[in-house]
Amino acid sequence: MFNIEEIQKILPQKFPFLMLDRVLELEAGKKIVALKNISINESFFAGHFPGQPVMPGVLIIEAMAQAAIIMFYAPGSIPAAKQASYYLGSVKIRFQHPVTAGDQLRIEVEPIKVISGAGLVKAKASAGGREVASGELSFSVQYG
Amino acid sequence: MPDLENEIRNMIAEIVEKDPAQVTLDAKFFEELGMDSMMALEIMAGMEKKYKITIPEEKLTKLTTLRETVAVAKEYLEKNNV
Repeated sequence: MFNIEEIQKILPQKFPFLMLDRVLELEAGKKIVALKNISINESFFAGHFPGQPVMPGVLIIEAMAQAAIIMFYAPGSIPAAKQASYYLGSVKIRFQHPVTAGDQLRIEVEPIKVISGAGLVKAKASAGGREVASGELSFSVQYG
Repeated sequence: MPDLENEIRNMIAEIVEKDPAQVTLDAKFFEELGMDSMMALEIMAGMEKKYKITIPEEKLTKLTTLRETVAVAKEYLEKNNV
């Protein structure tokens, strides 16, 4: 669907804060499925935790938020990166299992309620067919 | 519909993180309960899910007190039952 080059054109986030590698499915404004591959070379593993690599939950949330940005990005519209700022409003996520090196994180996001300038989405992350985190995020969008 | 009022009161109390007793019928969401626009959106979405209704975006500005919010929920519940 979208490879990493296209993801980089859409997302305002850049290295080292790109939390998605590929978009598998996208229905603009309705649903997105995206992937992040977790490698032992991830810089956060150096400190989180030495000898026991666990992906920080906040970065799973960030991956969900970035997937939401792409979901609301309509192909053909002005690139989201240049025109809009996204602010997380609230986060209600439950973490079920730790994510570690070698995992492939599958992020699924669907809208619950979207109005102009703000949205509430349902997000789920899974690895190896097992749900690792799920919940809701709200965010506001400011243009210009 | 006292049940509807209480259900919505509890939902609002959870979102604004206050005791349900503080969410009186006329307590002002923004000034007195510390609500922001994102919380208002959560309330709107919460009512839509719970009551299987769709509330249009322009009603968001009506959600200023519990009394007003219950009135909006009732309006759309009635529309759905027609």
